[in-house]
Amino acid sequence: MVSDLVLFSSFIFAYLYLRNSGQGWPPPGMSRLDVTFAALNSVVLFGSGATMHFALENWKHGHFMKYTGWLIATIVLGIWFLCGQGWEYAHIHAGWANSGIFGASFFTLTGMHGFHVFCGILFLTILLLQSVQGKYTQQKFFGLTAGTIYWHFVDVIWVVLFSIFYLF
Amino acid sequence: MNVVMVERVVAVIGAILVAATASVALRNDWRTPGLENHVFKGMLGLLALGAVLAFFAALGVLGKA
Repeated sequence: MVSDLVLFSSFIFAYLYLRNSGQGWPPPGMSRLDVTFAALNSVVLFGSGATMHFALENWKHGHFMKYTGWLIATIVLGIWFLCGQGWEYAHIHAGWANSGIFGASFFTLTGMHGFHVFCGILFLTILLLQSVQGKYTQQKFFGLTAGTIYWHFVDVIWVVLFSIFYLF
Repeated sequence: MNVVMVERVVAVIGAILVAATASVALRNDWRTPGLENHVFKGMLGLLALGAVLAFFAALGVLGKA
């Protein structure tokens, strides 16, 4: 996770450096991003962070059925977010793909984040299967804790990306 | 009601729910010891912040729309 943090930080700082280098950002003539749709998609991802928190709390308190429900909700919300991102890519103005470093920064950072969400969904699905098989107990559940930290990390990275691309 | 308005309303309601949930979870976990719990608390705080940003973005107060 630390290596991921360094990776994202490097790209984010590169983006901010380019943005403030005085060449006009975004380039003239570029269409704006759909902030309302991005806000909705962000709420979906942030909501998945809350459901993941509930899943772990219910596991700690021995409520297996509730844990399973919250974990499945997290996976569904993660898939929903990825579908939303795919929809945004599909409907983004064609000029974005040919806008040089501006579009490259956007697609690299959001794409890399989307890939991490995809890996997180796989991770959580494996955790769900393992917990159903009885691999974890109420005393030993490091995998679930690691999964929760990873998922929160993906959420927090999106707070930064959402802010720099859509808000400020 | 057009699609954008529906998106806006759902985003606003969702953001309020997520911000409230994250804040309550943060308050409940505030006194829990241990490194992992401190990490969770930090991340819950940032989650709440993200929900607040999404709330203002959905309202059109923030954002480059």
